[in-house]
Amino acid sequence: MNTAGVKTASAALPRTDDERRMRVARRALILIGSAGLLFGLFILFDSVRVTRLPGLALWVGAAIVLHDAVLAPLVFLCGILLRRAGRRVTGTIVLVVQGAIVVGSIMTLIVVPAIVAQGITPNNPSILPHDYGRNLALFWLGVALVATFWSIALYARSRRANQRPSSRQS
Amino acid sequence: MYEAQRALASPARNPRMAVVIGRLLGIAFIVCFGTGLYSHFLQEPLPWMRFPTRPALLYQFSQGTHIIAGIACFPLLLAKLYIVFPDLFQYPPVKSFLHLLERASIALFVGASLVQITIGLLNTYQWYPWPFPFREVHYALGWVLIGLLVLHIGIKLPIITRFWNRRGDAERDDDEHDATVAEDEAVRLWGSRRPSGVTGRLIAWIDATPALKPTATPAVSRRGFLTTVGVACAAVVGLTAGQTFAPLDALNVFGPRKKGVGQQGVPVNRTAEEAKVTASALATGWVLTLTAGDVERSFSRTELESMPQTEVELPIACVEGWSQLAVWRGVRLSDLADLVAADTQASFRLTSLEERGSFRQTEMGPEYVRDPLTLVALELNGETLDVQHGYPARMIAPGRPGVLQTKWLSRIEAITA
Repeated sequence: MNTAGVKTASAALPRTDDERRMRVARRALILIGSAGLLFGLFILFDSVRVTRLPGLALWVGAAIVLHDAVLAPLVFLCGILLRRAGRRVTGTIVLVVQGAIVVGSIMTLIVVPAIVAQGITPNNPSILPHDYGRNLALFWLGVALVATFWSIALYARSRRANQRPSSRQS
Repeated sequence: MYEAQRALASPARNPRMAVVIGRLLGIAFIVCFGTGLYSHFLQEPLPWMRFPTRPALLYQFSQGTHIIAGIACFPLLLAKLYIVFPDLFQYPPVKSFLHLLERASIALFVGASLVQITIGLLNTYQWYPWPFPFREVHYALGWVLIGLLVLHIGIKLPIITRFWNRRGDAERDDDEHDATVAEDEAVRLWGSRRPSGVTGRLIAWIDATPALKPTATPAVSRRGFLTTVGVACAAVVGLTAGQTFAPLDALNVFGPRKKGVGQQGVPVNRTAEEAKVTASALATGWVLTLTAGDVERSFSRTELESMPQTEVELPIACVEGWSQLAVWRGVRLSDLADLVAADTQASFRLTSLEERGSFRQTEMGPEYVRDPLTLVALELNGETLDVQHGYPARMIAPGRPGVLQTKWLSRIEAITA
């Protein structure tokens, strides 16, 4: 339905073969993609009771809001704070610390639901058998240690570099 | 809006990086879709469908891959969203009806992707806090997402082809040039370098923050971003994949299952208590009934034990992504099928003692029924089958999802081909 518009938006007058090929490829992809999307929606309406669909719509909407309005600004804020806090150290160290926080946070995101689920799932000792809280704490510790040693190594390197006469002016 | 975009600028946020991460995420989505489709049709085959029974580890491999790729989607999707986040504030927000459609498709893509990987993860924890059925929605969203992926590639194709190789980046311009353009644009928009008011002060505060010092050039910064994404992927996959991939077993500290943990060293998906079979499974009068056409025969456990026994090594491979290799001993299903003179092309319907549950009754195609590795198992790892594993008798066949390895068998019927 929207292919015609996209075509005109992308290239009003395809002159070269490349442009023509691009136009054909885009039209095909958009058509196939739309078909897949519609088929998925058909399966959804076909197999899930209509009364359950608002709940799904709510979850999809909430996911967008959660990401765009909570998670992303939080990451943005952390980035700024870190940049300000790290004004005295070399940028590479900031990157290491940033990376460590990101890796730890993503693991936390995946493991915390397991901790919550441990209290909820039925009485089956083979599901969620680990001590996830302790393991997560150890993981953070490991990440922090690696980041610290890495930073120290980078700091030592930058000090050595700064002591050279050639870079004293900067 | 432009100020927001500018404040969010970072060397890692550029079209080339969007293509690099987008490619990996796209591959992960396609792998998830393909393996998911295979799993779906194993459980709900179309009438003409037949499946390979070798290698016997096929389903363990395909579904293990499904879950591993799904878990890798967490860092990849978050990275992709991080890269393109400033586009959220593009101005004007909507340029045309077509642009509106494009943005709507992206919003749906983002929301549905996040929901898909979240419910997939929580399903492996057997935690269902959502108001809709998991299996149906996960399957339908799979199609929705693969459609949106192709659509997205179609919409972004000029950018994708341009930045597919590193050359595209160089052709474009360098980051310093970008910064100059941004400054010029700021002056054009506000008549000065930055707007006044609270936002102005915020931007000023941010700008007062020295950008990364010379040691962290944009290239280093980009490398740092990629390293972070790589380490995060390695961590989430490496510390969970041991639940299916044996060499990583020692590193499995976050997986929802652990190899060897469970009755008789095998994890349990659905317990006898959940299935409400504790009484019926241990009842003395239990018999396994086989029917084919008019022929019907019943076997007690003792009778089954006195028949020729076969030992096989096959994995239990769950849809939740874990798997466990085990040694099973029991009667070949094909032998039993011959006793009731079932047609060699007949599919079988297996019925469990459980009274409720979506897999109480399942069907098995002739390729599995006649496979020499397919057993009505009576023993597991050298012991009488535990009731949690399906005592008095359960099905075990090569290359099938665990939910189809029917426990607490009560009836096996040939369905006329």
